[in-house]
Amino acid sequence: MTQVLQQIALVSGKDLRIEARSRQTLGLVVVLGVLIVVVLGLGLGPQQVASGMAATAVLWVAYLFCGVLCFEKTMAVERHDGALAGLMLAPIDRGVIYAGKLLSNLVLMVMLALVVTPVAIVLFGFDLSAAPLGFAAIMAGGFVGFAAIGTLFAAAVSSTRLQGGLLAIVIFPVSLPLVIVSTQMMMRLFGEGEPLGGTGLAVLIAFDAVYLVVSWLVFELILEP
Amino acid sequence: MTAMTSDTVLTTTDAALDTAGLAVQIRGLSKRYDERWVLSDINLSIPTGSYLTLLGANGAGKSTLLHTLAMLNPATSGELMLFGKSANRPSPGLRARIGVIGHQPMLYRDLSVMENLVFFGKLYGVSRPAQRAAELLERVGLADRASSMVKTFSRGMIQRLSIARALMHAPDLMLADEPFSGLDVPSVQAVSELLRELHADGKTVILTNHDVRQSLELAQRVVVLRCGSVVCDRQARHTNPDEVTREVIGS
Repeated sequence: MTQVLQQIALVSGKDLRIEARSRQTLGLVVVLGVLIVVVLGLGLGPQQVASGMAATAVLWVAYLFCGVLCFEKTMAVERHDGALAGLMLAPIDRGVIYAGKLLSNLVLMVMLALVVTPVAIVLFGFDLSAAPLGFAAIMAGGFVGFAAIGTLFAAAVSSTRLQGGLLAIVIFPVSLPLVIVSTQMMMRLFGEGEPLGGTGLAVLIAFDAVYLVVSWLVFELILEP
Repeated sequence: MTAMTSDTVLTTTDAALDTAGLAVQIRGLSKRYDERWVLSDINLSIPTGSYLTLLGANGAGKSTLLHTLAMLNPATSGELMLFGKSANRPSPGLRARIGVIGHQPMLYRDLSVMENLVFFGKLYGVSRPAQRAAELLERVGLADRASSMVKTFSRGMIQRLSIARALMHAPDLMLADEPFSGLDVPSVQAVSELLRELHADGKTVILTNHDVRQSLELAQRVVVLRCGSVVCDRQARHTNPDEVTREVIGS
């Protein structure tokens, strides 16, 4: 078990080292995320913005589009110079490659959220102080499921010529349940002042578990050098 | 199997062939992509410590066969044994005994030479990967470029680094897919010398190549593939290059 965790950390650490050096993915997605929030904020107008509740939906739009870019970029690293074949030749389980890429994507998503979320809070006047931990828990639940399927589909799509466009088309519908559940939970938490119930989180965690298990199992079948 | 001559070595449809001492044993292996058969009923036995070249025109199935041996592409039918163990369901143990030099270097451009080698070394569970990487860089003539980014390298340097990557875990079987492709003369000599050294160390070397004369000089044995089938399997020594060329082009 320790060896598997070390291998996962190795794959993910390599991705993050490459990202830290090239800054290709994070630089791009942060700018895109901020732009989405600002443009939608301006588009919705002062009335919607003043309510503050539009912020959660706008944030999800930003996370969805930026997430797709993250997943695509982290997989593209493996496609350059046949590096993925090098990984597949190694005596490691395919699940290790999946988990490593998933971890890299989650780290990038969290870093994105750390920049984009404050922008939305300021722009929309969203009062996060009512339940900061609840907000973090809901977003974390959403991110895990979203990154789970995103990592899987990015690997599948990376072997095709369609790439970016196709990736968004396949990920968005599948991630819809996560978006609906987490947005509803946010509405209840911040709009109606209800405490974060166990049922809502349980549903979110159940979605995450299904996405994770299915993606882990399917990843081996779709991975091509 | 067709076109066998008296020079033919180890024709391998013999089911009773002893698997001991064989690095590779292939029985009735076929591979299909969609509706097209790219490998058809391949039978080969390759003893441990052999140096074999797969020859053939473009599309003959050389790279597909090499990928199948590397367990990157599963065969559609047939049996593949590596070191006496079934490779139809690849195990980490078998993967750890194989090194592959591909068309592409399988390296990360934004990592340094040393970072690449240490990464792959750790994946293979190599103890002291940095020390092993330093040894190999010395061997491939890149010791002074350990901290350089791979993206700054020429094609020849990348190929030598690719060999170092493939050697990190000291594999028993080295598979090289057209390792001389696109290299200048000094790089070809350097790479062929490295492969020769590997063979001298008792490792099994299988490579694909287009150059018949070069293959006959380097390898002990040449196997010609045409349209996915083995059409010629001979000892390299005393074999006429023109004869092998005729087998390659099918005239």
